[in-house]
Order: sequence, then structure tokens, then C-alpha cells
Amino acid sequence: MSGNKKTNYVYKNVRERVKTEWVIFALAYVFVIIAEMIGRKDFKIGAGMFILFPIFYAIILGIISGPHVARIIKEKHVKAASGLVIIGICPFIAKLGITAGSNIDIIIKTGPILLFHGFGSLLCIFLAMPVAILLGMKREAVGACFSLNREYHMALINEKYGPDSFEARGSLSVYIVGGMIGTIYFGFLATLVSMTGLFTPEALGLGSGVGAGIMMASSSAALSAIYPDKAETIKTLASAGETIAGITGIYMYMFIGIPLCNKMYTILEPKLSRFSLKKDF
Amino acid sequence: MRYIEWLLLFVFGAVGIALSNFIGYGAGFMESLPGLLILMGISMTAVFCTKVIPVRMPVIAYCSLIGLTIASPISPVRETVISYVGAINFTAPFTIVGAFAGMSISNQLKTFLKQGWKILIVGLLVMTGAFTGSVIWSTLLLKISSLF
Repeated sequence: MSGNKKTNYVYKNVRERVKTEWVIFALAYVFVIIAEMIGRKDFKIGAGMFILFPIFYAIILGIISGPHVARIIKEKHVKAASGLVIIGICPFIAKLGITAGSNIDIIIKTGPILLFHGFGSLLCIFLAMPVAILLGMKREAVGACFSLNREYHMALINEKYGPDSFEARGSLSVYIVGGMIGTIYFGFLATLVSMTGLFTPEALGLGSGVGAGIMMASSSAALSAIYPDKAETIKTLASAGETIAGITGIYMYMFIGIPLCNKMYTILEPKLSRFSLKKDF
Repeated sequence: MRYIEWLLLFVFGAVGIALSNFIGYGAGFMESLPGLLILMGISMTAVFCTKVIPVRMPVIAYCSLIGLTIASPISPVRETVISYVGAINFTAPFTIVGAFAGMSISNQLKTFLKQGWKILIVGLLVMTGAFTGSVIWSTLLLKISSLF
């Protein structure tokens, strides 16, 4: 077994990995230091608050360091860095799990409804699909609108339609938008939605668990800052929601998300396409 | 990845978390150390689980479930775990994720800028819908069960 498996490793040995990846870690440390020194900035907007967390500066510094701007890191580092995101996410989620465990009474109280968590995210299809068609998208819209289009969502689309399909192109486009501005936007969104006053901090916390770790982290951090005395509850429910969404999400999008998106497309496309803008992407 | 690679990377990652915790929150390295060791232990166990358990579940789901279990009342080390990990601030592990995430999308910057405003609108609507829908659904569920 080991003989077969060894050929699949990205690096021949650990030393080779360190030789390639030390640059990424060195830079990451520098970015962490800069980002933390700038620190958290709060901006009051009316009754609400827009919060900039150090992670946002770290993302921007990361993007700037890349092959399109400062060219400090090369293409091979970019690829390696995407594998390292999980290295940072794991301890973060473990910590959230511990927060959830220490407030297990909230989880138990919420218990049965947690099993139904996650379906709300499908609203993205209804909101985005009509606009996507009006903007001139064709089959790309199915890939673009069916989910948040994080890595595992893209994998689903690639599996179903193939990586060269129009659907996969749509999926990739939204994936890139999410990567560039998703984290910042989720923090902002959480603030805006909370300002409507229609939702309880508990619902906002649970709702933050959308199956995208970094986005959940951003919105729950913003919410915790807005409702400091509910922070523990928010983090606990966000963690529980995220865990459930991470497990059931794949199946939800496979069996409901993609078919629903297809259905929406076949219904809306004939009706809306004559009002559509010219396709130019 | 081999176990040794995971471990090494988690250690490097932990240094970044310690940096955040120190600069951002003034918690010294020694103060962060026990908590970081626990988080690394959980992460490694989660990696082990994904390799030996033949159910298709993401590694972070294991991280969350293991963390939850060892901090729940059935765990004999509950108090220790909660107090040590409590020394790691909520957003501290988060900054280095941003650094990696930023670098990992840095080669898409040109595509992002070229894609133009239409994709941007669709992307924003997708995110808005996913979050708002999730919050509305959570509100309904919580209302139905009249918990909060």
C-alpha cells in the first residue's frame, strides 16, 4: 500500500516541502505581525458598526505579494499556499468546537433543529439566478448561483459537468469573487443584516454557519463584537451550524442545490433572456 | 500529506497563531503554548480520523466534533482544556489563515479585475442570499421550536 501511495505525495520528502514552503511561512509571519500591529478598527455606522479585523489586511497583503503585483511569491508558492489554508483553519475550528463543547447546554437545547440547519443558504439561487440571466449569463448561471462556490462546491460542479463546462466556468468566477472579497463582505453583511433588527443574535450566529469556514469566522467575529454579551452564544451556534453545514452541505447541494438551480434556469431563461444584456464574459 | 508533514505545518501554523495572540492581545508565548498544543493535538487527531474512517467528511468537521467532545461535560479534561484554550483569543488563529488565503488567490487577481462588474454583482448576490437565507431559516427554526 505504501509503495502505491507514495507516488501521490506532492513532495518527495519533508525537507523538500520545507524548502519550497518556508518562504510562504516567513511571509505569513510578516503579514501577521503587520496586520496585528494595525489591529482591529471599528467604524460606527448609525446604530451599527463596521469592523475591520487583522485578517482583512493579511488577505490584502497576501494578494499583493503574489505574481500579479509584487511578485515576491511565484506560481508554485501560490499553489502551496492554497493547501496551507486548511492548516490555519483546523486549529480555529477546533477552538470553536471547544467553545461549543463548553456551552453544550445551548447545543442540546438547540439539538433537533440543528439537523435541519443549512437549507436557508439555498436562497442564493433565488436571489442571484434571475439577475445572472438578466446580465446575460447562460449555463454559467447554474454553476455561479447554486451555492457559495467554495472549493467543495466547485468540486461538485466539476464532477457533474466537467471542468471545461460553462457551468464550471460560472462556478469558478464566483469562487474568485468569494476569495477576493468574501471574507470582508461577510463581516459587512452580518453587520448590515443585524442592523435591520429583525433577527436575534442567536439566529444570526446559527445562520453564520453557511459551510464556508473563513466566511463564518468573519461574520461571527463581527457579530460577537456587535453583541459582546451574547458572544459565547453566537460563537457556539456558529460553530454548530458550520459543522452541520460542512457535513450535510455536500449532499444538500448535490441533491437539491444543483437540480433546483437547473429547474430555475429552465423556467426563467426563456422568460428573461429577451431582456438580457449581451453576453460578454 | 504524510502525518509528519501535517504535524510540521501545524507547528509552523501555531507559531503564527502565537504571534497574533501576542501582538494583538498581549498574551505571551508561554501563556499560549498549552492551548496551542491542545489545538494541534485535536487537529492531528482529526487528520488521523479522515485517513482511517471511511466516511466522506471534511477534516474541519472532525476538528469541530473532537473539540466539542473534549470540552463537553463527559470529558475528564474539560476544565483544563477550556481554560488553556481560553488563553488563545477567538480571532488569533484567524489572521494567518488570511495570509495563506490571500497568497493562494493572488494569481487570480487579474482574472478578478478582468471579470468585471457583472460577475461581481452575481457573486455579491450569491453571498447575500446564502447568508440572509441562512439567517432567515435559522430564525424560523428557532421560532418554531420557541427556544430563544
